[in-house]
Amino acid sequence: MAKPGYILLKLVEVGVIFFVILTALFFLFRLSPGDPISKMVDPMLTPEDMAHLIQQMGLDRPMWEQYLIYVKNFFTGHFGVSFHYGEPVANIIVDKLKWTILLFTTSTFLAAVVGVFLGKIAAWHKGSRLDNVMSISALVCYTLFIPWFALLLLWILGFKLGLFPLGGVLSPALWISNAPLIVRILDVLHHLMLPLMTLFVINLGSYLLLMRSSMLSVLREDYILTARAKGLSEKVIRNKHAARNAALPVITSVGLSLAFSINGGALTEQIFTWPGIGRELIFAVSNNDYPLAQACFLLIALVVLCANLIVDLLYAWLDPRITY
Amino acid sequence: MGQIGKRTNPFRQLRNREFRIYPVLRAVVMLGLIVAGLFSCSGSKEPPFLKIGLPEEPRSLNIWLGTDANSRNILSQIYQPLFRRHPETLEMIPWLAKEDAVFNEKELTYTVRLREAKWSDGSDFTSADVLFTRQLFADFKIPRYYSHWQVIENVVAVDDHTVVFHLKEPSAVFLPRVMTAPMVSKKEWEQVCKEALATEKPLRFLQDYQVDTPLGTGPFMLHEYQKGAYIHMIRNPHFFGLGQTIGNLTLGPYVDHILFNIYGTSDVAILALKKGDIDYYWWDIQPGYLKDLEKDSDIDLHYNKKSALYYLGFNLRKSPFNDKTLRQAVATVVDKGFILDRILQNHGNPMHSIVPAGNRFWHNQDVRKYGEGMDQKTRIKAAWQMLVDAGYSWETPPVASDGTLTKPSDIRLPSGEKMEKFVILTPPADYDPKRAFAGTMIQEWLRLLGMPAFARPMAFNSLLETVKGKHDFDAFVLGYGKLDLDPGYLASFFSSKNDNPRDWNMSGYRNPEFDKLAEKQKSTVDLQVRRQMIFDMQAMILEDIPYYPLYNPHIIEATVNKRFAGWVERVDGIGNIWSLCMVKPVD
Repeated sequence: MAKPGYILLKLVEVGVIFFVILTALFFLFRLSPGDPISKMVDPMLTPEDMAHLIQQMGLDRPMWEQYLIYVKNFFTGHFGVSFHYGEPVANIIVDKLKWTILLFTTSTFLAAVVGVFLGKIAAWHKGSRLDNVMSISALVCYTLFIPWFALLLLWILGFKLGLFPLGGVLSPALWISNAPLIVRILDVLHHLMLPLMTLFVINLGSYLLLMRSSMLSVLREDYILTARAKGLSEKVIRNKHAARNAALPVITSVGLSLAFSINGGALTEQIFTWPGIGRELIFAVSNNDYPLAQACFLLIALVVLCANLIVDLLYAWLDPRITY
Repeated sequence: MGQIGKRTNPFRQLRNREFRIYPVLRAVVMLGLIVAGLFSCSGSKEPPFLKIGLPEEPRSLNIWLGTDANSRNILSQIYQPLFRRHPETLEMIPWLAKEDAVFNEKELTYTVRLREAKWSDGSDFTSADVLFTRQLFADFKIPRYYSHWQVIENVVAVDDHTVVFHLKEPSAVFLPRVMTAPMVSKKEWEQVCKEALATEKPLRFLQDYQVDTPLGTGPFMLHEYQKGAYIHMIRNPHFFGLGQTIGNLTLGPYVDHILFNIYGTSDVAILALKKGDIDYYWWDIQPGYLKDLEKDSDIDLHYNKKSALYYLGFNLRKSPFNDKTLRQAVATVVDKGFILDRILQNHGNPMHSIVPAGNRFWHNQDVRKYGEGMDQKTRIKAAWQMLVDAGYSWETPPVASDGTLTKPSDIRLPSGEKMEKFVILTPPADYDPKRAFAGTMIQEWLRLLGMPAFARPMAFNSLLETVKGKHDFDAFVLGYGKLDLDPGYLASFFSSKNDNPRDWNMSGYRNPEFDKLAEKQKSTVDLQVRRQMIFDMQAMILEDIPYYPLYNPHIIEATVNKRFAGWVERVDGIGNIWSLCMVKPVD
């Protein structure tokens, strides 16, 4: 078990880093060109209108005052109201996050599971036709250009074959006609398929190659030779002795990927009109919607910091030699 | 390592053993196929909705916040003004008003009689709502409306359906600007306004108020909004125009339901159109898609003029573009035919005046035209001659003594100083390839005259901050995609008093004669007299060239013709309330 002092130090470290991120985000957005109304190129909007809007957003106050309000609001659980949507950013994030988790976390998880499995097979059969096919396919997947591949899938499976919808998360007709819950769930899954396939294929390559490489180095270890000398079956050696050890670095990578998956992906969301957080984040940044952009980035920072903290604590638990 | 290189058939191994260990994977694949099969034929069960694609989710259904194009598309079916423009003649016609406003020149009043209209909840639309709307604009200083409504001294309700507007001074924009503001229900907003006015930031409170069921007088009302998915509108049974003939059109709506779906990219929206998932995509179709769409007999393409302005702007506050002759020479060398042919692919018009040609009443076609009918060689020679006459010189001039064109070098200003490098700012190509490419072409044409021009794409926010906020630029290519049909913007763009940071006179144009006309036209109620003033203002601008109009692209839209017909074409396309009041299911 990790020492309490170590845990406390790690927690303080995470807290300090988070506060630095909190501050950096505030100033980064304020110092970027323009403000939330600078993109409104509308001759009907007079300079007085613009000044009035800026004042109502509280952006006419000195920067330090805005910063203090921002920090106070954050620590009192008020993440602000989006300038663009006029809704509390917490509501927007919760609303979008469910779709992001459904798509991106699922695809990361599935790709990791299948990637680990196939990587193990490829490494075990190193140099064979199967290994070559898998490695080359994984490389192709890894280097695929997301918009091109997504549009290709949409065109073939959605448009030409009509197997899947062309975008969105649900079929309005089913929801308007109050279809049974199970039908609605299946409908969402149906809409999920194409973006999921896209992300699955893109992510699969990297996990497969990572697992293959890790497995190949494990297969050279002495304990594999020992296991073989003991007369254990090939299946046991591969799955219990080699794969389990080889999967450790992959699991670390998957853990961080899962943490990062909550920031979604703007391109995939845009093409499949998936109402996730990635598209919203890009939109918030480009429109200087400070409250929304800050909250999105803070959420990502928080999740990644927590994931790192958990990994650090787990390592300390697994290997007592690790100290702060 | 014993397995490596062993002669087995790994594919068979994989098939026979590994998949047995992973039934979950098989289940997932099977489920996918079953779901796909289940739903591949579900489209036929959909009710007969008019389905419209939108490029983005509306910002808000709160009319005070939802000022983006997508929100306006939805809200314009709900909230209605007293007057609106006829789709064909573009004249102002009574809408929620029963008849033309009566102007009393002596007392400076407009008397407006209201229709016996109802809000979508069945309550009456009365003078009290008009008075309330006016008070709301004033109390909250509602952007876009407050400045125009300031011309009103007082509004008096004579009875439930007659309102008298008392003006502080005559106003040319009373009908096109004041009377086109949306009317809101006192019942819906009164309590919200009370609460808002008690806060420190009333406008913010009002804009952040979540409107679930907007109350309007328009042809449709909101039925359901599934955020991130769709908006379902249904016919408003209380719509005042139902079955009425307004502006020679007998209005419906003739469809009971409209379903707005969102498509994140044009590529997917076009596929949805071709597949029949939507009947109309409420966005401009780029010329690149036209070849494909033209082949599809189920799709109709609609080409209309736009009330838009894309232009080259100069900074008149500093050298070198503080010289009118130089600006005229630049205008002469710009080949609008090339821009139209190569950049717009002939889907647009070259622009000669600041007011677009589609705005027939206000457009002055007799302004000075530069380089008209000339080929490139003649343009360069003409521009060179203008500059020579104004005292410009070169180490190597662009035109040799025998009249042939040469590669010029070192252009010098009339003062003898060498012309410094200058920059033409454009939006980046991923934001607007047309403007970015136009900037590059202008750079090349100016270099043929020996000018050290450099086109530089800049992120849109930074570009606006540089040009509008700081006035720290030489020249820029910008545009307005949707200009108001009233040409009052001429005064905004070029009046000396608007030459301030963040104000609309970005070029720093100062012309006392123009200023006088700009002020005078604001209070000129006689349309013909005002028209002449606007014509004169356009002529002045094209003589002095603070902005040089470049092009006006067509708006191209696509509809599916199998299910609905009757779209109403007008300037700015078929996406308008008239269309949605006139579209009928095809028998």
